[in-house]
Amino acid sequence: MDPKQRNVLALAVIAMLVGLAWWQFWPPDQQITQGLDIQGGLSVILTAQETTQTLVTDDVMDRAELIVRNRVDRLGASEASIQRQGSDSILVQLPGISNAEDALAALGTTGQLEIRAVEGVDATGTPIVGDVLMTGEYITDASLSTDPTTGQIEVNVNFNAEGTRLWAEITTARVGQQIAIVLDGVVQSAPVVQEPITGGQTRITGDFTPEEAQQLRTVLETGALPVTLEFSESRVVGPTLGQDSLRQGVLAVAMGLALVMVYMALYYRAFGVLSWLSLAVFASLFLGLLAVLSSFGWFALSLPGIAGITLTVGLAADSSILMFERFKEEVRLGKTFRSAAKSGTRHAIGTSLDADLVTFVSALVLYTVAIGPVRGFALTLMMGVAIDLTVAILFTRTIIVMLAESVVPKVPGLFGMRGADSDA
Amino acid sequence: MRRIKVDFMGFRWWFLGFSALLMIVSAGAMGIRGLQFGIEFQGGTVVSFSEAEGVALADMRSSFESHGVASPQVQSTEDGGFIVRTTESDPDAANETYRAVVEELGLPADAGDVTTIGPGWGRNITNAALLALTLSVAAILLYTSLRFEYKMAGTAVVALVHDVVLTLGVYALVGREVTPNTIAAVLTFMGYSLYDTIVVFHRIRENSQRLVKQTFMSMANDSINQVLMRSINTSITSLIPPLAMLLFGGETLKDFAFALVIGLLSGVYSSVGVASPIYAMWKEREPKFQALKKRYQQAS
Repeated sequence: MDPKQRNVLALAVIAMLVGLAWWQFWPPDQQITQGLDIQGGLSVILTAQETTQTLVTDDVMDRAELIVRNRVDRLGASEASIQRQGSDSILVQLPGISNAEDALAALGTTGQLEIRAVEGVDATGTPIVGDVLMTGEYITDASLSTDPTTGQIEVNVNFNAEGTRLWAEITTARVGQQIAIVLDGVVQSAPVVQEPITGGQTRITGDFTPEEAQQLRTVLETGALPVTLEFSESRVVGPTLGQDSLRQGVLAVAMGLALVMVYMALYYRAFGVLSWLSLAVFASLFLGLLAVLSSFGWFALSLPGIAGITLTVGLAADSSILMFERFKEEVRLGKTFRSAAKSGTRHAIGTSLDADLVTFVSALVLYTVAIGPVRGFALTLMMGVAIDLTVAILFTRTIIVMLAESVVPKVPGLFGMRGADSDA
Repeated sequence: MRRIKVDFMGFRWWFLGFSALLMIVSAGAMGIRGLQFGIEFQGGTVVSFSEAEGVALADMRSSFESHGVASPQVQSTEDGGFIVRTTESDPDAANETYRAVVEELGLPADAGDVTTIGPGWGRNITNAALLALTLSVAAILLYTSLRFEYKMAGTAVVALVHDVVLTLGVYALVGREVTPNTIAAVLTFMGYSLYDTIVVFHRIRENSQRLVKQTFMSMANDSINQVLMRSINTSITSLIPPLAMLLFGGETLKDFAFALVIGLLSGVYSSVGVASPIYAMWKEREPKFQALKKRYQQAS
């Protein structure tokens, strides 16, 4: 393939990519998933607390994640996302949730139900609990009812076959004795067994509000967490605030882009206008990539992500600048426009590669090591670097080489240069 | 064609002296005033209200206090909102307080953003930040050592440390909070600062291969001048977007932008005023370049 054909091919590839990108990302507010800090909702990081009895292993975390997932499903949150973070944490994101407190309570409760023997009462009348007779692992489902006489809300639980048998044994052996129903170490009630219960069910009574009873039901039905999870980070964002932030973010990106464009045109004249095209291609491919990743559920645009995008606008302009400067310099040194364009852009891409790689490595370290929202910043920064190099090699370089062979020699002043001969 | 020639290397002791002064002031600011770390590092709650029309700062404070929050830190933002910091590390309680405050002040329930960080999490965040900084510097050192020579790598890192210390010094001076976003911004401008240094070093290396009738110092000075316009231009285009974020962005973007703007400015300066002179002075001690220096010192 001769160089001309190669140039045409490079431009064709870019045109196709830009077309694909627009097809993917338009309209951007629907095609690019918005992160929680933008669309509003609840985002929590739950961290497993290791104790001497329960070690935080992968297996334990898998079970904990499954239970958290089940509880989230019951909260009725659509489009919830649950991810493992590091070795001991789970990130839960619930977009558009209205009642953060209920969700927090349902997620953070361990939900360990125990039926224990009672060995008497202390001075205040509180039962002193003894051995664990049975745990909540046999519960199949739970329902709520209201005691018609006291008006108290009760949680009725049903056991599976094995639980039913165990429960029958316990109640048969302890008729007339007190037993305690303990949830996460707190005695909920300590009834006296009236008669053997063989139907595989029991009632938990306590001073529950309707919300608390509903949470208890969720927690009992989804099972106890194998390990205590504590909130490490919780963020509740109102949708209004999020949309305000998005508007400010888009304004910042747009202003950054516009000012860079003005500066490029003022300083580099026609080349500056060429850099507008490069920036437009860069922006299109970036949005296209974000839309594609969004459609796979691998990306959600957060505010730190917007910061990363804004920053890469400068990066994209930088690689154009390096090429223009090197080209002009080689022309000054007496090379023909044609060969200056070829070797100049090649040298400049080498420099860009060095500089971009450094930024990429910093971003990669940040992405790998950091926890929390900052990773969104690292991610967009890495994407920006990759797209910048693609655009520089396929688009900007090709155009410079093509212009150097056609337009530049005729009107060098337009490109901020004198003719090659006069400058030699 | 614009041809600028500035005798940067002639001013090298001024640059180095100025930088030394900046370092002393920065270290002093950090030592005396200390850095203020965000709740991400120590646990607690931040409530931000985007807008709170008709609510006075004192009302906001007393409303939090009346709902059981001891000594909340209340700060108003430029856009007419508030940022309230408390030591509450239980998200349930923090959100309950938020709801009560919003109701009492008659604000819409979705006007705010409640972030709570648990007490143990800060250690993780701090460790991650330190690890990221260490790994980044190590990676940069390794990369520049492989790509260039160790003297270039060493001086490039000196310039980076200069930029980081200066930025943190400014944070200490103005009392701005250091957050994980600040750390991310620091990691990023380190890359950019290195970019400028690399551009100069690239040129010095290229020129040193055909070094004749000139001292290393004056060749280095020529190299800086040759790449000066592109250094200035790439720096300006790199600076514009963070400036736009600082002017138009919300709190999160400003968080990134503040450190970036200082770091980028420092980076432009340090590649010319710190990295290049130290490198050139180091190189001039090599016998080969010492000979050149003896012969051409007068001529240059």
